[in-house]
Amino acid sequence: MADFLINLSKNPTAKGLLGKVGVPLPVPLRRADGPWAERPLEGRVVVVGGAAGALLHPAIATTLGRAGARATLVGQDEAASAYAEAAEAWGRPLTHIDAAPDDLRADAIVFDGTGMAGMADLRALYDFLQPLVRRVQKCGRVVVIGLDPEEQTTPGAAAAHAALDGFVRSLGKELGRKGATVNRLLVRDGAEARVEPALRWLLSDRSAFVDLQTLPLSAGEPTDGAPFTRPLDGKTALVTGAARGIGAATARRLADEGAKVMILDRPDDLDAAASLARELGGVPLGLDITDADAGPRLAAAIAEHLGGLDVLVHNAGVTRDKTLGRMDPDRWDLTIAVNLSAVLDLTAHLDQAGALRDGGRVVLLSSIAGLAGNAGQTNYAASKAGLVGALGKLAPALGQRGVTVNAIAPGFIETRMTAAIPAAIREVGRRLSALSQGGLPRDIADAVTFLASPGAAGVQGAVLRVCGGSFIGA
Amino acid sequence: MPAIHAAKPRRAVIVAGVRTPFVRAFGDFLKLDAIGLGVAATRALLAQTELAHQHIDAIVWGGVILPSGAPNVGREIALDMGLPPSVEAMTVSRACASGLQAITLAAAAIERGEADVVIAGGGDSTSNAEVKVGQRLVHALAPLALGKKLGPKEALQVLSQLTPISEILPRKPEIAERSTGELMGEACERMAERNGITREAQDAFAVESHHKAAAAIASGVLDDELAAVETAGGPVYADGLVRPDTSVEKLAKLRPVFAKGGTLTAGNSSPLTDGAGAVLLMSEEAAKALGYTPLAAFRSWSYVGVDPADQLLIGPALSMPQALERAGMTLADMDLVEIHEAFAAQVLCVTQALASGAFAKARLGRDQAVGEVDPQKLNRWGGSLALGHPFAATGARMVTTAARALVREDAQTAVLGICAAGGLGAAAVLERV
Repeated sequence: MADFLINLSKNPTAKGLLGKVGVPLPVPLRRADGPWAERPLEGRVVVVGGAAGALLHPAIATTLGRAGARATLVGQDEAASAYAEAAEAWGRPLTHIDAAPDDLRADAIVFDGTGMAGMADLRALYDFLQPLVRRVQKCGRVVVIGLDPEEQTTPGAAAAHAALDGFVRSLGKELGRKGATVNRLLVRDGAEARVEPALRWLLSDRSAFVDLQTLPLSAGEPTDGAPFTRPLDGKTALVTGAARGIGAATARRLADEGAKVMILDRPDDLDAAASLARELGGVPLGLDITDADAGPRLAAAIAEHLGGLDVLVHNAGVTRDKTLGRMDPDRWDLTIAVNLSAVLDLTAHLDQAGALRDGGRVVLLSSIAGLAGNAGQTNYAASKAGLVGALGKLAPALGQRGVTVNAIAPGFIETRMTAAIPAAIREVGRRLSALSQGGLPRDIADAVTFLASPGAAGVQGAVLRVCGGSFIGA
Repeated sequence: MPAIHAAKPRRAVIVAGVRTPFVRAFGDFLKLDAIGLGVAATRALLAQTELAHQHIDAIVWGGVILPSGAPNVGREIALDMGLPPSVEAMTVSRACASGLQAITLAAAAIERGEADVVIAGGGDSTSNAEVKVGQRLVHALAPLALGKKLGPKEALQVLSQLTPISEILPRKPEIAERSTGELMGEACERMAERNGITREAQDAFAVESHHKAAAAIASGVLDDELAAVETAGGPVYADGLVRPDTSVEKLAKLRPVFAKGGTLTAGNSSPLTDGAGAVLLMSEEAAKALGYTPLAAFRSWSYVGVDPADQLLIGPALSMPQALERAGMTLADMDLVEIHEAFAAQVLCVTQALASGAFAKARLGRDQAVGEVDPQKLNRWGGSLALGHPFAATGARMVTTAARALVREDAQTAVLGICAAGGLGAAAVLERV
């Protein structure tokens, strides 16, 4: 699917016109290939600052040191020793400065706002970031860390931490033209020891299409010792709708990280599923997930081929678009059945059958259509919004035995499904985001892989949009 | 024949050690290949110990640059020396730690009861490193290798595969990591920058190495460790690379060799060298029965891997603590510390890491730093920077010097640390017997 704007921009007249109209040319995003690397931030300059009383500098310092980054600490003198220790431990030079020099190039910026107690503390965010914003490199990262506003005791503190959301969304829209992303890490009480894997992922080239988002971390066991390479070694995974598109990309990434993957798709697509399974050393399964006996058959197949299941990815989904007035019952029923009912029924069945292991992962594929709505997609959006509702009940229930349940809401992703959208509407869909481009199936796959990893134990009941900072929806 | 899998654990003891002088590559030992140097060292060892050939069970040899036609250098040494054919032999390659590896393998075999008397050591002839032609040439000439006759058509076909010529011309051998393509010096330059090791500190360290080596040679303490080697140009008695008169001012004049504006120079990097060393190990019982007084024994050893793309030469900062832990001892317990000086910067990175509590916590899972290396204990008789580094000979040199020093100085313990290409680290703890 050729990006029309890139092609147009090769014509000087068109490029000039586009410039006048203010349509930004998208920056090709920097994405990492292959399995997770030991030091994903090797050699990158990461500028760190914070508000007074910042709590997470030791975790940030360890994250940056271990990931190979060169930390530049601005102010925050109390935190200097944490960064000096990380520098010593990992053999990195530490730069500690009062103010950023003019020639500083920031590959990433991290602001630790966890110490904010009131609205006056927000000024630290401005003071730190305002001079640095121009220095953010193409495809850079900005991560703002804050606490949960709902856990604060005073209106002022709640305001300060909630303010980070609006700030991140706006700054992301300013920096999107550089291909840079801006996200918030929300650290709930008791989640302080679960920061490293999430921060590492947000700063890496594996989160290229995640923009304007808040990644929440919930209380629980520390993620110390969670592996940063081959995190899914010895684990099993099931991806539905995995014969092609986002599902196939997801299966590939999970296998890259060591998982044995069951590739499930409709019996009609068994050939494609089988060929992918051969490539990945996985197992193909042809099954209509809306069949009455799909649950038992799936549980039996998992028991036979995988032993048990660690990672369950509900990727299979259909669209049967029609405005409501013209929608016949079959379109309604099928969309609800595949996208919603089957997901809940299979999850419940696998849970009850004991097929889903403790400490496992369930990932639901929702959609920004489900969050924002689309004309002609009353059925689709209903199903995708329904998943989010179910998530609210599934996460606490399965969380009792260490299983995390989260949803990913893809924005505009270049797939067979979106290629079928009429060209003009498709172009608009691509451009209505901070990064001004569509994502790739691998962007969703990268996000699923992160959620599936042991280090993501702190992410529970979250809806993570992977949308390039889409303007659509809240 | 020794008992296999003896019920009681046996100890292997170091009885003696000798080495050839270490000379600059393409110098006095030009005509001696790795096998010739190994023969020289082994012959000298046998002469010094007056050990009868019939008592030797095996040779375990180390080498980095192995002759492609005869890579089991240890066996070739045995055959060239006319040792009984029953003297079995193997050759091991673990980059710069090959010599130590050979010696610890021999010790392990003796401990297991597989042998009683083993000669172990290593050597390298940098001068005789084979220069490789492009593999395309080898593949193109396959029909010839397989004995096929070449008619005009086949000959043209072979010739057509020999282009582009750049792919078949010989390549200059370089000490570079196969996985990263980085020269070892470049990797060390990065380590120096990352860990804040200044040019001044490196040069000062290099000068110390030379002065200590020069003093040791002048005082005669190293005399028994060296044996003269006969060459076509006459006998070579002494190490040829030590500079007694060097100074920080002299070293400051040298230009960086691995990076523009870098800190590593020829003066603070170990030089290309030829040489070999051999150590005689026996079981305690055999040493007693044959009338030898042991010098020392291995209390422990350790081999570790680190990421060569990260800090290639930091290995000893992990292997030394591990060897100490296995020995049930601490760095402070050590009377002597011998660290192979691949580059001054590398040693300084390692000692800095050993002294760092943060490093110990993050990389070793310990509460406290391993410890500060006492400069008075470190490489007291000079190191690889001054003496030279014929790759696989260095382990033999360090074991020999440490074992002899333990007796001479009436000391008890020594720890050795060696970094190696490929991102490896080696270490050993020796104790007086």
